[in-house]
Amino acid sequence: MLNFLSKVTGYAQETVQAARYIGQGLSVTFDHMRRRPVTVQYPYEKLIPSERFRGRIHFEFDKCISCEVCVRVCPINLPVVDWEYNKESKKKQLKHYSIDFGVCIFCANCVEYCPTNCLSVTEEYELATYDRHELNFDSVAMGRLPYKVTEDPAVTPLRELAYLPEGVMDPHGVPQTVRRAGQRPEEILEQMEVPEKKPAGQKAEASSSKETQE
Amino acid sequence: MNLAEGVQIVSFGLLGLAMIGAALGVVLLQNIVYSAFLLGGVFISISGLYLLLNADFVAAAQVLIYVGAVNVLILFAIMLVNKQEDFDPIIGRWVRQGATALVCFGLFSLLGVMVLQTSWSSSTSGAKPAVDTTVLLGEHFFSDFLLPFELASVLLLMALVGAIVIARREYLPEEIVSPQQQPPLTLPERARQPIAISAGTSSSPQSTSE
Amino acid sequence: MTPGIDLQQRFIETLRDLGLPQGVAKVAWLPLPMILIIIGATLGVLVTVWLERKISAAAQQRIGPEFAGPLGILQAVADGLKLVFKADIVPAKADPWLFTLAPVIVVFPAFLSYLIVPFGQNLLISNVGIGIFLWISLSSIAPIGLMMAGYSSNNKYSLLGGLRAVAQSISYEVPLALAVLAVVMMSNSLSTIDIVEQQSGYGILGWNVWRQPIGLILFWIAALAETERLPFDLPEAEEELVAGYQTEYSGMKFGLFYVASYVNLVLSALLASILYFGGWDFPIPLTVVSGWLSINETGPIFQIVVASLGITMTLLKAYFFVFLAILLRWTVPRVRIDQLLDLGWKFLLPIGLVNLLLTAGLKLAFPFAFGG
Repeated sequence: MLNFLSKVTGYAQETVQAARYIGQGLSVTFDHMRRRPVTVQYPYEKLIPSERFRGRIHFEFDKCISCEVCVRVCPINLPVVDWEYNKESKKKQLKHYSIDFGVCIFCANCVEYCPTNCLSVTEEYELATYDRHELNFDSVAMGRLPYKVTEDPAVTPLRELAYLPEGVMDPHGVPQTVRRAGQRPEEILEQMEVPEKKPAGQKAEASSSKETQE
Repeated sequence: MNLAEGVQIVSFGLLGLAMIGAALGVVLLQNIVYSAFLLGGVFISISGLYLLLNADFVAAAQVLIYVGAVNVLILFAIMLVNKQEDFDPIIGRWVRQGATALVCFGLFSLLGVMVLQTSWSSSTSGAKPAVDTTVLLGEHFFSDFLLPFELASVLLLMALVGAIVIARREYLPEEIVSPQQQPPLTLPERARQPIAISAGTSSSPQSTSE
Repeated sequence: MTPGIDLQQRFIETLRDLGLPQGVAKVAWLPLPMILIIIGATLGVLVTVWLERKISAAAQQRIGPEFAGPLGILQAVADGLKLVFKADIVPAKADPWLFTLAPVIVVFPAFLSYLIVPFGQNLLISNVGIGIFLWISLSSIAPIGLMMAGYSSNNKYSLLGGLRAVAQSISYEVPLALAVLAVVMMSNSLSTIDIVEQQSGYGILGWNVWRQPIGLILFWIAALAETERLPFDLPEAEEELVAGYQTEYSGMKFGLFYVASYVNLVLSALLASILYFGGWDFPIPLTVVSGWLSINETGPIFQIVVASLGITMTLLKAYFFVFLAILLRWTVPRVRIDQLLDLGWKFLLPIGLVNLLLTAGLKLAFPFAFGG
């Protein structure tokens, strides 16, 4: 009998606990309701991509020496380099260059290894097309520069979280002139140069804090 | 004939047609799922007839129990045992069909004679429809229909207990028991320890209840 | 308690004054409440869809629909129009008759149940004696439609979803009915009008919440399961069953399922407010208020104010429950099918029976407080 009663009390306790947990969850959901939305309303507002953003790759035809380093470092050997040996100048002459951005994973290894800096990454990420073959960019398409978000009159540029002033969470309505939190790279450089005697630990700290913000 | 009577007659005709049509469909259609769904139509038509007879509680109970429970149960059974099977053509099937038709026609004519011979005009004009049917039903259940009511509830209880016994059976005998060894009127199942009711052996109910 | 406005009588009297015979006047009245309630229910669905999307967005710190009308109010209308104009596709190997019939069977009882929802003393379509029982029995028809949809789609996910829907609604009908039965026991009547009447008179203190707290929780859990809302949306669990019984549906047939689910949600919320929150009853008894303000209780303006206040109160309470359902949707994770049936049969059913027993005992012990 006592055994049965203790079972019933245990069951009741579990029930009460479950109800309390559900109540806690409800209060969390309710609390979230009064927070401001963090939505970036995409076609009208866009985030400004960070300096390290790896978007669509830009290519400058004239700088290329057809060395095919980009092909070798590419994880899937994606760039297509079509060249011909020019016997008069004894140089490789580039005829066509193309990358299929429907397959590219945007690791930017090619940009990293290009000996002549003819490859570079842009901020462009809007690569939607109706046909996937349209994403196979040739050298002309890759030579085009994308629109900058900040210069597009139809778009309200918004800063990313790491580029907002300290304590600000919402990018809407933050004036352009307000500085981001933390130091700019040139300021860090200045600090590194002038007080030579500064302990190394602080420098590391500064740079690491910058990295975490990125 | 005023409006209310006209509506009543029209809806009676519609309900009757729907009921008979659906009932014929239940019997005559080849697809058993159609039959089951049409059975729901029959039940709903019957509940409509109850409504016409001012028996609103019975009508709602008809929908709740026959459509919501019995018919759904039939459908469930059909859906869960949905095995495609080609039946062999039965030799001399027409004999069976003819016999069935004969029996059905006999029943129908018997009922028809009964309908024609009963004098239906007993005090339909003077009696007022009951206002609160639920109260009346309850009074009847607990006075002159007490015994059938209790018997029905006992029957349902028995069915419930039987269903639980079947559902809780662990139908996985460890060693195959030959039919000779099997005690009569039992189903093959794993030997079960009796549940200890006394306090102190708290572990044994756990293991047996699983 | 004053009888309040009797619109039907007024309407018929007005028509008779215009020279129409009694019968014609009655016939002219008949379709009005039905049309009104169908329009009202549809509008309620639109509002609920909009609320659902906005509240969901707020709970997830999004904005939600914004461009269709001010604050996106017309978004639900736009979605509905889109569904109306979409191609009506019947899968090649589906059963076309059952496939078409299923959404109708699901929608019909949902709308029919609005018969018994009162918005005021005389503001309901018909005060049938069996009231709340009619709702319970009508809601048991919908599973047949769901199973029909699941079967006729000729799709394994659909069939599984249909079977789940049926199992779920059958097992949760029992605790729902038990919770309702406890309320009915206190008010001695199945009629929704009587249930509200029994709660009125003491304002917020007289509502059934205080006498039936367990019943309210029980009712709400069971109602959420009946309407297949999260955390009980197993029939259409999109991670497992694509969309359950609606997988193969598109266009207006899908729209009917969609409408039916929201009509059911609003209906459950309305009934929760009627059964436990005093329906059209104002938190402070209106007779007391009129006493303070020294207004004549039988004056026509007072009656109109009372009636509109009643409708507002009913809707407010109902939409509070809708809000709760939406909040629960984003709080509680979905249960598994075995957990669902466990909860229904092993937890809600015993609690419902205990609640019934407790109510009966309290009714015998304190007949003045629990409806003698």
